[in-house]
Amino acid sequence: MPKTFTRKKIFVCAIMLMTAFTFLIGRLSYLMIWKSDYYLEKAEALHQRERSIKAKRGVIYDRNGVEIAGNKPVCSVSVIHSQITDEESVVAALSSILNLSEDTVRKKVEANTIREKIKSNVDKETADMLRELGLDGVMIDEDYKRYYPYGSLASKVLGFTGSDNQGIVGLEVSYEDVLSGTPGSILTLTDANGIEIKNEAEGRIEPIPGDDLYISIDVNIQKYAEQAAGKVYKAKQAKRVSVILMNPQNGEIYAMVNVPEYDLNEPYKLIGINSKGMTDKEKQDALNMMWRNFCINDTYEPGSTFKTVTATAALEEGVVSVNDTFNCPGFRVVEDRKIRCARTTGHGTETFRQGIMNSCNPVFIDVGARVGVTKMYENYEKLGLFEKTGIDLPGEANSIMHKKENVGAVELATMSFGQSFQITPMQLLRAASAIINGGKLVTPHFAMYYEGKDSGERHVFEYSEKPGVIKKETSDTMRELLEAVVAEGGGSKGQVPGYRIGGKTATSEKLPRGNRKYISSFMGFAPANNPQILGIVMIDEPVGTYYGGTIAAPVLSEIYENILPYLGIKADYSEEKLKETMSTIYIEEGD
Amino acid sequence: MARRRPTPVRNKRKKKTVDKPVYFDYQFLFLVMFLVALGLVMVYSTSSYTADLKTGTPYYYLLRQGVFGAVGIAVMLVFARIDYHFWKNLSMLMIVGAIILLAMVIVVGKAVNGSSRWIEIGSIRFQPSEVAKIAIILFTAHMATIKAARIGDFKILIRVAFLPMFATALIAVENLSTAIICAAIIFMIIFVTSPKIKQFVLLGLAVVGLMGIFLVVASYRMQRIKVWLDPEKYEDGYQTMQALYAIGSGGIFGKGLGQSIQKLGFIPESHNDMIFSVVCEELGLFGAVCVIGLFALLIWRCVIIAMSAPDLYGALIVVGVITHLSVQVLVNIAVVTNSIPPTGVPLPFISYGGTALLCLLVEMGLVLSVASRINMPKE
Repeated sequence: MPKTFTRKKIFVCAIMLMTAFTFLIGRLSYLMIWKSDYYLEKAEALHQRERSIKAKRGVIYDRNGVEIAGNKPVCSVSVIHSQITDEESVVAALSSILNLSEDTVRKKVEANTIREKIKSNVDKETADMLRELGLDGVMIDEDYKRYYPYGSLASKVLGFTGSDNQGIVGLEVSYEDVLSGTPGSILTLTDANGIEIKNEAEGRIEPIPGDDLYISIDVNIQKYAEQAAGKVYKAKQAKRVSVILMNPQNGEIYAMVNVPEYDLNEPYKLIGINSKGMTDKEKQDALNMMWRNFCINDTYEPGSTFKTVTATAALEEGVVSVNDTFNCPGFRVVEDRKIRCARTTGHGTETFRQGIMNSCNPVFIDVGARVGVTKMYENYEKLGLFEKTGIDLPGEANSIMHKKENVGAVELATMSFGQSFQITPMQLLRAASAIINGGKLVTPHFAMYYEGKDSGERHVFEYSEKPGVIKKETSDTMRELLEAVVAEGGGSKGQVPGYRIGGKTATSEKLPRGNRKYISSFMGFAPANNPQILGIVMIDEPVGTYYGGTIAAPVLSEIYENILPYLGIKADYSEEKLKETMSTIYIEEGD
Repeated sequence: MARRRPTPVRNKRKKKTVDKPVYFDYQFLFLVMFLVALGLVMVYSTSSYTADLKTGTPYYYLLRQGVFGAVGIAVMLVFARIDYHFWKNLSMLMIVGAIILLAMVIVVGKAVNGSSRWIEIGSIRFQPSEVAKIAIILFTAHMATIKAARIGDFKILIRVAFLPMFATALIAVENLSTAIICAAIIFMIIFVTSPKIKQFVLLGLAVVGLMGIFLVVASYRMQRIKVWLDPEKYEDGYQTMQALYAIGSGGIFGKGLGQSIQKLGFIPESHNDMIFSVVCEELGLFGAVCVIGLFALLIWRCVIIAMSAPDLYGALIVVGVITHLSVQVLVNIAVVTNSIPPTGVPLPFISYGGTALLCLLVEMGLVLSVASRINMPKE
């Protein structure tokens, strides 16, 4: 036996040791009881990963309920090596059903990775076949891909979505909140490398699908318009052709065309351009150009179509009456500048009415001078030419106008016939709507209402309308004058057999002048006495004949011929009257 | 009851062979076996996931540890049969051998995690520092027994402690925490041999003071102190925080065996030094206290054996083993619970590590050998 003091010392040390153990137990109790919640919470924050489940994006329907932007269910098939029990049958099934070579599949199946993707964008039927086989270790994930059944139809209006189904351009961006829905999520536990742990209880929050959007576009009208635009685009070898068709009474847009359109299902494929040898930036610029909607994203000099605004201002201010006479010697000298009329020999003596029909510049220079800068700008203001139209598309441009204090006689003269400033076609059309609809300034728009997928609840969009921006009498007179332009004046090629059409042509030379590059346009509405549809056709840089009355007016005429009956607008006059009109001698217009 | 106490078998044996073992401490053996088994379970639990990812089989670490455990238990039983006095004359050879091995490890050692602590002979890889612990225990106990009468003499003391301290110093080159354990073993053996107390208390205080100065002087260690005090603030506190997350999320009854999430790569090499945090996470406070209780019982059993050992040599061997075992358990659990600044000490029996387990079982064999020679009080 060891000595007593040795035994005592051992015993005392042992007691101290046991005390130390007790302290450790105390420390553990503190950590595991009092601090338990704190650490547990921190640990869970570390372990939990939220895997989001995409919400199904809302469908876009046209005004008649035709689906124009939908979702295609797609699946991705992958394998998890460690879960595969029967390798051979997995290889056989995957290669035969997915149409892949056995070698490629085998390589992926045998790869000892966490998860190997076999194929993505597999359509649902194929995926269902695989799912029915119930093979261990084969994972099928569902996803939705935006799909545009009409391909390029209204591409610059609709826009498209990106890889996360988020809107990138067009209405898809404007109504992102309505369409996107709320993604759901799966809460999973993961290891330190973020790999999900099997068999761990999952929390799941179901996604809420986006709401369905109904827009004012009519697929058939859009199609007609695109066809007509496409035809003239080819015939005139134009840079582009734009068409807008809208309801001037409430601002609903039936069609908006910018030819060439692009395929919404392949929005990154450049059309008509070889992208080889392009830098990424060049390619991106080309794509941005391709996606651009010129009806609202760009401004131009409207030219003679703008004479409607000048005439309206003059009538509104009471400085001219329809039968006032003017003299056109083929030019007008304003201060030190000699401004020519389109007809250099001059129109001679003519009434205001004839001046509009002839699109005579000197008449409008005189009328504009009578109105004066202040009153002219007031009327521009009333017709919404200083503000964006408020259309529900992203990236709308605003007009570029002279500062009021900088407008001299020359500027006023040129503005009177639509030059030396820029507006968007949409702004022009909005002003024209007010001019012909009795004086109501509408907000052009596409979205009409949206509906909850499950609830079926309908939310109608409200757009601001400003009634009485011009007098009703002015509007009545303007309709009558514009009808005369088509019936007897320079817009005669915009006639549609059986219908009363009002309109105005324009041929504007693009800046810089002298390059002989033009924008030929025709703005027309029907029926002239009670306009239900207002449209504009713009041909950018046509080759050969470039007069708006000659090349743009027939396009709108062709479109109207098809869609007026379609819209249920009854013909106004008979065949006899038609023959009479046909015999009218046309006067070439221009400026 | 009283009539049955004198067992005829024991009496018979005692009469026949007085010097042969007369007693086998089955309670002690049970505790050891239980701890080894628990260790294997926990090694499998902590390592299977990462082992599967890394090596393709979840059993990689379990199998290796299992082999060492099985061999270790066999070796322990052999050592239990051998009279511990047999090591008396061999201990000098052992300590010299250990010093040579330790010197070798510094020269040719294989680096694992930045420090070279391993020697590889063919496919066998072992840690000389673990072997050195046995040598230190046996040699110090032997020297202290011989010089017991004059151990109060400082010169004698130096002679007793010189070789073991030299070995300890060699260990300190690569692994400070193991060196501290060895120093503690030497200290305790000499402490219980010597009749004096005051000097040792002073020595203890001096060591604590020196360590304090050392900490302040070595700035990188000061940084460790900062991390220790507020592990959440520092990047270096990652491992500590992971251990605390595991311990805290265990709660009172734990998540259940095998259900730890922290072992899935969050705690680096959770089967090593930090294994106790996973024990806490899976088995809860209840399980953790049970494990500490097992160690306490084992140590208490050792204390009883030491106090009733047949001679001073036996008692000192057991004191060495107690010191080794208890310091390691205390330091490990204290580190895991962030009670002291972090240092790498494995948890005896439970942490993964073949050499450590084998050497520990050899020490258990020595304790059993001492226990078997206890003179049972005559009826």
